[in-house]
Amino acid sequence: MKHGIIEWLTSTDHKHVGTLYMCTSIFYFFVAGLLALVIRAQLSQPEMTLVGPHQYAQIFTLHGTAMIFLFVVPFALGLANFLIPLQIGAPDMAFPRLNAFTYWLFFFAGLTIFSGVFVNGGAAATGWYAYAPLSEISVSTGGGQDLWIIGLVMSSISGILTAVNFITTIFLYRAPGMTMWRLPIFTWEMVATSLLILMAFPSLAAVLAMLFIDRHFGGQFFDATAGGNPVLYQHLFWFFGHPEVYIMILPFFGVISEIIPVFSRKPIFGYTGLVLSAFAIAGLSMGVWAHHMFTTGVVNNAFFAAVSFLIAVPTGVKFFNWVGTMWRGSIVLTTPMLFAIGFMLNFLIGGISGVMVASPPIDFQAKDSYFLVSHFHYVLGGGSLFAIFGAIYFWFPKVFGRMLSERLGKWCFWLLFIGFNTTFFVMQFLGVMGMPRRIYTYPALPGWGNLNLIASIGSLIMALGVLVFVWDVVTASLSHKHAADDPWGGYSLEWWTTSPPPEYNFTSLPPIRSERPVFDAKHPELARSNVS
Amino acid sequence: MRSVRPLLASCLVLCTAGCGIYALPAGATTQAQVLHQDWTVFTLVGLLVAAIVSGLIVFPLLAWRRRRDDYPPQFRQNTKLELIYTIIPLLMVVGLFAVTYRDEVIVEHLSARPANTVDVLAFQWSWRFHYAGTAINIVGTPNAPPQLVLPVDETTRINLTSSDVNHEFWVPAFLFKRDAIAGVKNSFDLRPIRVGLYRGRCAEFCGFDHALMTFTVRVVSQAAYGRWLHAGGK
Repeated sequence: MKHGIIEWLTSTDHKHVGTLYMCTSIFYFFVAGLLALVIRAQLSQPEMTLVGPHQYAQIFTLHGTAMIFLFVVPFALGLANFLIPLQIGAPDMAFPRLNAFTYWLFFFAGLTIFSGVFVNGGAAATGWYAYAPLSEISVSTGGGQDLWIIGLVMSSISGILTAVNFITTIFLYRAPGMTMWRLPIFTWEMVATSLLILMAFPSLAAVLAMLFIDRHFGGQFFDATAGGNPVLYQHLFWFFGHPEVYIMILPFFGVISEIIPVFSRKPIFGYTGLVLSAFAIAGLSMGVWAHHMFTTGVVNNAFFAAVSFLIAVPTGVKFFNWVGTMWRGSIVLTTPMLFAIGFMLNFLIGGISGVMVASPPIDFQAKDSYFLVSHFHYVLGGGSLFAIFGAIYFWFPKVFGRMLSERLGKWCFWLLFIGFNTTFFVMQFLGVMGMPRRIYTYPALPGWGNLNLIASIGSLIMALGVLVFVWDVVTASLSHKHAADDPWGGYSLEWWTTSPPPEYNFTSLPPIRSERPVFDAKHPELARSNVS
Repeated sequence: MRSVRPLLASCLVLCTAGCGIYALPAGATTQAQVLHQDWTVFTLVGLLVAAIVSGLIVFPLLAWRRRRDDYPPQFRQNTKLELIYTIIPLLMVVGLFAVTYRDEVIVEHLSARPANTVDVLAFQWSWRFHYAGTAINIVGTPNAPPQLVLPVDETTRINLTSSDVNHEFWVPAFLFKRDAIAGVKNSFDLRPIRVGLYRGRCAEFCGFDHALMTFTVRVVSQAAYGRWLHAGGK
């Protein structure tokens, strides 16, 4: 047993590294979820005093920071770590030791950020985007803000190195026959994601380094009284921050594009268009950052609105790809498929409300209100989170060699789906009625107490869904029933090898003549050669 | 029973998408009336898209559930269809952009001769309203929020800035907010159309008492406003 733990902690095997990434990120999901429950308890009624303003600010800062930087992104990177070499028929990543290094950097980044809880003045309390001058030392004097900065710089370096590893691996380590145009969609989405990381994360590291210099070495970058400019912080932060949104969703477009074809028993519809749309989204997402700054009065709103609207087009294309894949298929609603459907329905609302707030006149009312809170939770909670659960239910047998229960999985899905929509549905009302985000208390205005109570009840339903999931994982881990190598009738190469895969992944490979070689090998009568 | 669940799910989606028009306050300035139009257009288009796309997602679940262990036709693409479903959304967003651009130009228009000018200073954690050309200077605290007095049917220019961290001036009934940033002077016009009392507040997180950084706006008749100015803001 001891040998086993040491082997895991010192491993450079991409499957071990990927699994560590995913498990660590799920841990932070639980932590950030508990923080969200405290937020919902505090806001469940007007004038509550469960936590004070100082604690509340730390709680929402840590909730946002953990969900984004320690859960959604690292889960995506972990899943990609596990899957990319398997999907392209490679024995490991191009740089296995660098890979292990990125995980440990991320591991200590999380500890660094949360260690702020123990220092004088508490953890960072300036929100997940820590606008200067609020985050300057003159206002935020505590060491928690510094630990937050250092942790995020570590996590951005970890992300950059991971992206380098992914791109190198995908470009150079594909098995014979695996041409670029036969890559599974998930791997393609990770190419686009990695390019975005390489372009966006340096900006995050830069702006945080500047903030650190401001705080400790008299930098004056963002101090208006000394010739600096607070708006510069916003530009640099959102130059990272908006691509970050797509770094958190493109991998999950990939997940959905793997799940839907398998449970529709059809090839993905419009493969080429789906790949091109990923790169269109990635490219456009580099030119929309100032739509977070429509109300600053110092950006060209028309330009950034136009580019933001354009992103809706390739995103819409993906929806039609998924619908086309299900069209006239042979659909079976397993748990991963349910989560994929839930993803589409939730993300649809996130996308539509996204087009709304991309219009500056609407943003003038919606920005910094609960309408916006609802919008981005529909993208990241209804979208990414549902895809993460879909991914867990889909690949759990491959990662751990155990099946999760379909019965519990469906309970988990319906509790999460109903709870999620109960919580975030009503926030749209609250937002337009004038409730701003990040307030720890609110007066008893007509309707506010009731709507907030509904949102809080929804969060408890979600928590119940998460408990069902935990129960499911525990019982599956304790069971002695081994999962089949290919329990779903999968398409890509990870389903060719054992569950879990052996060291170096494969003892043999099927011929690779399309993007779904395993399907081709098992159904030669339906196979289509894709020799170009 | 099986087929009821997706239907329920899609109804939920439609309701959710449908809350665009809902609780939006009727705009209390001429600018807000334009903003309200923009909301309405986007909400209706959004509802339509939500209805069509969620229908497209749910329909296959009802129509093509696996009943036998068979394999359906393995079609992969349809270039004409793919072009259509790329071009239609493109045309839609071009149209939405046109609406947005038209409305934004109106909302952001600055009158050449505003009847009144108020310099608004945001600070941790309240506001100072200074009426230009007068000695009226209203300063609030978190526990005693200040009141901004505006005349009805007259244009008031607001010059907004901050003396410390970023803040944001928001009057929900005006459907409008604007950042207060140190070193930046933000100007916009408000032309209230209804006498009344409105809530205002800071919308950008600005530290621990952000939640208490509120103010009120009292819109009064022009005659009453004249008297108020004359009395030195009493």
